[in-house]
Amino acid sequence: MISAEQLVGEELAEWYSLTPQERWRESAKLWEVFLSLGGSLDPEPDTQSPFFDPGAPSSRPFDGRTGLRLIRRGGV
Amino acid sequence: MGGQACVLYGAAEFSRDTDFAILASQANLSRLRTAMAELQAEVIAVPPFHLKYLKKGHAIHFRCHAPEAAGMRVDVMTKMRGVDNFAKLWARRSTLLAEDGTSYQLMSLPDLVKAKKTQRDKDWPMIRRLVEADYFEERERPNPKQSCFWFLELRTPELLVELASMHPETCRKLIKQRSLLKLAAAGEAIDLIGALSEEERLEREADRNYWIPLKAELE
Repeated sequence: MISAEQLVGEELAEWYSLTPQERWRESAKLWEVFLSLGGSLDPEPDTQSPFFDPGAPSSRPFDGRTGLRLIRRGGV
Repeated sequence: MGGQACVLYGAAEFSRDTDFAILASQANLSRLRTAMAELQAEVIAVPPFHLKYLKKGHAIHFRCHAPEAAGMRVDVMTKMRGVDNFAKLWARRSTLLAEDGTSYQLMSLPDLVKAKKTQRDKDWPMIRRLVEADYFEERERPNPKQSCFWFLELRTPELLVELASMHPETCRKLIKQRSLLKLAAAGEAIDLIGALSEEERLEREADRNYWIPLKAELE
Protein backbone atom coordinates (compact mmCIF):
# COMPACT_ATOMS: atom_id res chain seq x y z
CA MET A 1 0.00 0.00 0.00
CA ILE A 2 1.14 3.53 -0.76
CA SER A 3 1.61 5.59 2.36
CA ALA A 4 0.28 9.12 2.66
CA GLU A 5 3.85 10.32 3.28
CA GLN A 6 5.04 8.77 0.01
CA LEU A 7 2.23 10.30 -1.93
CA VAL A 8 1.82 13.81 -0.53
CA GLY A 9 4.82 14.41 1.71
CA GLU A 10 5.11 14.54 5.47
CA GLU A 11 3.41 17.86 6.08
CA LEU A 12 0.18 17.07 4.30
CA ALA A 13 0.20 13.47 5.53
CA GLU A 14 0.36 14.81 9.08
CA TRP A 15 -2.58 17.12 8.35
CA TYR A 16 -4.57 14.18 6.97
CA SER A 17 -3.88 12.20 10.12
CA LEU A 18 -5.31 14.84 12.47
CA THR A 19 -8.83 14.54 13.82
CA PRO A 20 -11.36 17.13 12.60
CA GLN A 21 -11.18 18.81 16.01
CA GLU A 22 -7.38 19.03 15.77
CA ARG A 23 -7.56 20.46 12.28
CA TRP A 24 -10.12 23.02 13.45
CA ARG A 25 -7.82 24.06 16.29
CA GLU A 26 -4.80 24.38 13.99
CA SER A 27 -6.85 26.36 11.51
CA ALA A 28 -7.99 28.70 14.30
CA LYS A 29 -4.34 29.31 15.25
CA LEU A 30 -3.58 30.26 11.68
CA TRP A 31 -6.49 32.69 11.77
CA GLU A 32 -5.17 34.33 14.92
CA VAL A 33 -1.78 34.90 13.33
CA PHE A 34 -3.32 36.13 10.11
CA LEU A 35 -5.53 38.64 11.88
CA SER A 36 -2.78 39.75 14.27
CA LEU A 37 -0.69 40.62 11.23
CA GLY A 38 -3.52 42.78 9.93
CA GLY A 39 -4.76 40.32 7.33
CA SER A 40 -7.91 41.33 5.50
CA LEU A 41 -11.11 39.33 5.73
CA ASP A 42 -11.93 40.09 2.12
CA PRO A 43 -11.80 36.89 0.09
CA GLU A 44 -9.16 36.95 -2.60
CA PRO A 45 -10.61 38.07 -5.92
CA ASP A 46 -11.81 34.88 -7.57
CA THR A 47 -12.11 35.75 -11.23
CA GLN A 48 -13.12 32.20 -12.14
CA SER A 49 -16.12 32.21 -9.85
CA PRO A 50 -19.50 32.75 -11.47
CA PHE A 51 -20.16 35.05 -8.53
CA PHE A 52 -17.17 37.28 -9.25
CA ASP A 53 -18.17 40.92 -9.30
CA PRO A 54 -15.33 43.35 -9.98
CA GLY A 55 -17.51 46.18 -8.70
CA ALA A 56 -18.25 44.62 -5.32
CA PRO A 57 -17.28 46.90 -2.43
CA SER A 58 -14.48 45.73 -0.17
CA SER A 59 -14.43 45.87 3.59
CA ARG A 60 -12.17 47.90 5.77
CA PRO A 61 -9.42 45.95 7.53
CA PHE A 62 -10.58 43.91 10.51
CA ASP A 63 -8.76 45.99 13.10
CA GLY A 64 -8.60 49.33 11.35
CA ARG A 65 -5.02 48.85 10.32
CA THR A 66 -3.96 48.93 6.75
CA GLY A 67 -3.70 45.18 6.24
CA LEU A 68 -0.68 43.17 5.23
CA ARG A 69 1.98 45.19 3.54
CA LEU A 70 5.35 44.47 2.01
CA ILE A 71 8.19 45.59 4.21
CA ARG A 72 11.05 43.79 2.52
CA ARG A 73 11.26 42.26 -0.89
CA GLY A 74 13.74 39.45 -1.40
CA GLY A 75 15.69 39.13 -4.62
CA VAL A 76 14.75 36.60 -7.25
CA MET B 1 -20.13 23.63 2.95
CA GLY B 2 -17.08 25.72 1.95
CA GLY B 3 -13.51 26.05 3.11
CA GLN B 4 -14.33 25.37 6.74
CA ALA B 5 -15.99 22.09 5.81
CA CYS B 6 -12.91 21.19 3.77
CA VAL B 7 -10.69 21.78 6.81
CA LEU B 8 -12.86 19.55 8.98
CA TYR B 9 -12.84 16.79 6.36
CA GLY B 10 -9.08 16.83 5.95
CA ALA B 11 -8.15 19.17 3.13
CA ALA B 12 -6.06 22.20 3.96
CA GLU B 13 -7.65 25.48 2.97
CA PHE B 14 -7.46 29.01 4.27
CA SER B 15 -10.84 30.37 3.41
CA ARG B 16 -11.87 33.85 4.39
CA ASP B 17 -15.57 33.47 3.89
CA THR B 18 -18.16 31.10 5.29
CA ASP B 19 -20.52 29.30 2.95
CA PHE B 20 -23.86 27.88 3.98
CA ALA B 21 -26.28 25.65 2.12
CA ILE B 22 -29.74 26.51 3.38
CA LEU B 23 -33.32 25.43 2.90
CA ALA B 24 -35.02 27.95 0.63
CA SER B 25 -38.36 28.54 2.26
CA GLN B 26 -40.02 31.76 3.31
CA ALA B 27 -39.95 30.73 6.99
CA ASN B 28 -36.29 29.82 6.87
CA LEU B 29 -35.44 33.02 5.09
CA SER B 30 -37.09 34.96 7.91
CA ARG B 31 -34.83 33.14 10.37
CA LEU B 32 -31.83 33.91 8.18
CA ARG B 33 -32.79 37.60 8.08
CA THR B 34 -32.89 37.63 11.89
CA ALA B 35 -29.47 35.97 12.12
CA MET B 36 -28.00 38.34 9.56
CA ALA B 37 -29.48 41.31 11.39
CA GLU B 38 -27.70 40.14 14.57
CA LEU B 39 -24.48 40.07 12.58
CA GLN B 40 -25.33 43.48 11.14
CA ALA B 41 -24.78 41.94 7.74
CA GLU B 42 -25.42 43.77 4.51
CA VAL B 43 -25.98 42.18 1.14
CA ILE B 44 -23.12 42.94 -1.18
CA ALA B 45 -22.98 42.55 -4.93
CA VAL B 46 -25.83 40.95 -6.82
CA PRO B 47 -28.34 39.38 -6.59
CA PRO B 48 -30.53 40.91 -3.88
CA PHE B 49 -31.72 38.83 -0.95
CA HIS B 50 -34.85 37.24 -2.45
CA LEU B 51 -36.07 33.68 -2.33
CA LYS B 52 -36.46 33.50 -6.11
CA TYR B 53 -32.72 34.00 -6.67
CA LEU B 54 -31.79 31.33 -4.17
CA LYS B 55 -34.21 28.88 -5.74
CA LYS B 56 -32.70 29.49 -9.16
CA GLY B 57 -29.23 28.64 -7.90
CA HIS B 58 -27.68 32.01 -7.16
CA ALA B 59 -25.70 32.70 -4.03
CA ILE B 60 -26.45 35.68 -1.81
CA HIS B 61 -23.36 37.41 -0.47
CA PHE B 62 -23.21 39.21 2.85
CA ARG B 63 -20.64 41.20 4.73
CA CYS B 64 -20.93 41.41 8.52
CA HIS B 65 -20.42 44.56 10.53
CA ALA B 66 -21.12 43.37 14.09
CA PRO B 67 -17.91 43.92 16.11
CA GLU B 68 -17.27 40.21 16.77
CA ALA B 69 -17.53 39.40 13.05
CA ALA B 70 -16.56 42.70 11.46
CA GLY B 71 -15.64 42.32 7.82
CA MET B 72 -16.53 38.64 7.61
CA ARG B 73 -18.12 37.43 4.40
CA VAL B 74 -20.99 34.97 4.46
CA ASP B 75 -22.39 33.36 1.33
CA VAL B 76 -25.61 31.36 1.28
CA MET B 77 -26.86 29.02 -1.42
CA THR B 78 -29.63 26.53 -1.72
CA LYS B 79 -29.15 24.89 -5.09
CA MET B 80 -25.92 23.71 -6.64
CA ARG B 81 -25.18 22.06 -9.95
CA GLY B 82 -25.15 18.28 -9.73
CA VAL B 83 -26.05 18.29 -6.04
CA ASP B 84 -29.25 16.93 -4.50
CA ASN B 85 -31.91 19.14 -2.96
CA PHE B 86 -31.55 20.48 0.56
CA ALA B 87 -33.74 17.83 2.21
CA LYS B 88 -31.44 15.07 0.97
CA LEU B 89 -28.30 17.03 1.85
CA TRP B 90 -29.61 17.59 5.35
CA ALA B 91 -30.51 13.94 5.83
CA ARG B 92 -26.96 12.91 4.85
CA ARG B 93 -25.12 15.65 6.76
CA SER B 94 -22.26 15.04 9.18
CA THR B 95 -22.38 16.57 12.63
CA LEU B 96 -19.11 17.43 14.32
CA LEU B 97 -18.76 18.53 17.89
CA ALA B 98 -15.99 21.02 18.65
CA GLU B 99 -14.07 21.08 21.91
CA ASP B 100 -16.03 24.10 23.09
CA GLY B 101 -19.29 22.19 22.67
CA THR B 102 -20.31 23.88 19.43
CA SER B 103 -21.78 21.49 16.90
CA TYR B 104 -21.21 21.97 13.18
CA GLN B 105 -23.57 20.59 10.56
CA LEU B 106 -21.52 19.76 7.48
CA MET B 107 -22.56 18.69 4.05
CA SER B 108 -21.61 15.02 3.72
CA LEU B 109 -18.25 14.40 2.09
CA PRO B 110 -19.70 12.91 -1.13
CA ASP B 111 -22.06 15.90 -1.44
CA LEU B 112 -19.26 18.37 -0.75
CA VAL B 113 -17.14 16.74 -3.46
CA LYS B 114 -20.01 17.10 -5.93
CA ALA B 115 -20.51 20.74 -4.95
CA LYS B 116 -16.82 21.41 -5.55
CA LYS B 117 -16.95 20.30 -9.18
CA THR B 118 -16.93 23.82 -10.53
CA GLN B 119 -15.16 25.77 -13.23
CA ARG B 120 -12.59 27.12 -10.77
CA ASP B 121 -8.96 25.89 -10.74
CA LYS B 122 -8.76 25.92 -6.98
CA ASP B 123 -11.61 23.46 -6.39
CA TRP B 124 -9.98 20.53 -8.16
CA PRO B 125 -6.90 20.05 -5.98
CA MET B 126 -9.29 20.44 -3.05
CA ILE B 127 -11.45 17.55 -4.27
CA ARG B 128 -8.34 15.42 -4.65
CA ARG B 129 -7.22 16.19 -1.10
CA LEU B 130 -10.67 15.61 0.39
CA VAL B 131 -11.00 12.15 -1.11
CA GLU B 132 -7.36 11.25 -0.39
CA ALA B 133 -7.78 12.18 3.28
CA ASP B 134 -10.88 10.00 3.54
CA TYR B 135 -9.18 7.14 1.71
CA PHE B 136 -6.11 7.14 3.95
CA GLU B 137 -8.27 7.25 7.05
CA GLU B 138 -10.60 4.43 6.08
CA ARG B 139 -8.89 2.22 3.48
CA GLU B 140 -8.04 -0.53 5.97
CA ARG B 141 -11.69 -1.11 6.84
CA PRO B 142 -13.93 0.27 4.11
CA ASN B 143 -17.60 -0.50 3.81
CA PRO B 144 -18.99 -1.09 0.28
CA LYS B 145 -20.40 2.44 0.11
CA GLN B 146 -17.01 3.96 0.84
CA SER B 147 -15.27 1.81 -1.79
CA CYS B 148 -17.82 2.97 -4.36
CA PHE B 149 -17.31 6.60 -3.33
CA TRP B 150 -13.55 6.28 -3.78
CA PHE B 151 -13.89 4.52 -7.11
CA LEU B 152 -16.15 7.27 -8.38
CA GLU B 153 -14.37 10.27 -6.89
CA LEU B 154 -10.67 9.59 -6.28
CA ARG B 155 -8.51 11.84 -8.44
CA THR B 156 -5.14 10.34 -7.55
CA PRO B 157 -3.91 7.85 -10.19
CA GLU B 158 -1.74 5.83 -7.81
CA LEU B 159 -4.60 5.38 -5.34
CA LEU B 160 -7.08 4.43 -8.04
CA VAL B 161 -4.71 1.70 -9.20
CA GLU B 162 -4.21 0.52 -5.63
CA LEU B 163 -7.95 0.50 -4.95
CA ALA B 164 -8.63 -1.43 -8.15
CA SER B 165 -6.10 -4.06 -7.17
CA MET B 166 -7.74 -4.45 -3.75
CA HIS B 167 -11.35 -4.54 -5.01
CA PRO B 168 -11.24 -5.74 -8.63
CA GLU B 169 -14.85 -6.89 -8.75
CA THR B 170 -16.24 -3.56 -7.53
CA CYS B 171 -13.98 -1.77 -9.98
CA ARG B 172 -15.30 -3.85 -12.87
CA LYS B 173 -18.91 -3.13 -11.91
CA LEU B 174 -18.33 0.62 -11.74
CA ILE B 175 -16.63 1.02 -15.12
CA LYS B 176 -20.04 1.81 -16.63
CA GLN B 177 -20.29 4.81 -14.32
CA ARG B 178 -16.69 6.00 -14.68
CA SER B 179 -14.93 4.79 -17.78
CA LEU B 180 -11.42 5.68 -16.60
CA LEU B 181 -11.68 2.84 -14.09
CA LYS B 182 -10.70 0.58 -17.00
CA LEU B 183 -7.26 2.16 -16.78
CA ALA B 184 -7.18 1.74 -13.01
CA ALA B 185 -8.04 -1.95 -13.39
CA ALA B 186 -5.22 -2.32 -15.90
CA GLY B 187 -2.75 -0.54 -13.60
CA GLU B 188 -2.23 2.27 -16.11
CA ALA B 189 -1.39 5.10 -13.70
CA ILE B 190 0.23 7.27 -16.37
CA ASP B 191 -2.77 7.08 -18.70
CA LEU B 192 -5.04 7.84 -15.77
CA ILE B 193 -3.45 11.29 -15.47
CA GLY B 194 -4.76 12.25 -18.91
CA ALA B 195 -8.15 10.63 -18.33
CA LEU B 196 -8.61 12.48 -15.03
CA SER B 197 -7.64 15.71 -16.69
CA GLU B 198 -10.24 15.15 -19.43
CA GLU B 199 -12.87 14.31 -16.83
CA GLU B 200 -12.09 17.59 -15.07
CA ARG B 201 -12.23 19.54 -18.32
CA LEU B 202 -15.69 18.21 -19.11
CA GLU B 203 -17.03 19.02 -15.63
CA ARG B 204 -15.64 22.54 -15.80
CA GLU B 205 -17.20 23.07 -19.18
CA ALA B 206 -20.54 21.77 -17.87
CA ASP B 207 -20.30 24.21 -14.96
CA ARG B 208 -19.56 27.14 -17.27
CA ASN B 209 -22.57 26.23 -19.41
CA TYR B 210 -24.77 25.87 -16.31
CA TRP B 211 -23.92 29.41 -15.27
CA ILE B 212 -24.41 31.15 -18.63
CA PRO B 213 -28.19 31.64 -18.30
CA LEU B 214 -27.95 32.33 -14.56
CA LYS B 215 -25.39 35.07 -15.07
CA ALA B 216 -27.42 36.52 -17.93
CA GLU B 217 -30.37 36.96 -15.55
CA LEU B 218 -28.32 39.31 -13.41
CA GLU B 219 -27.00 41.48 -16.21
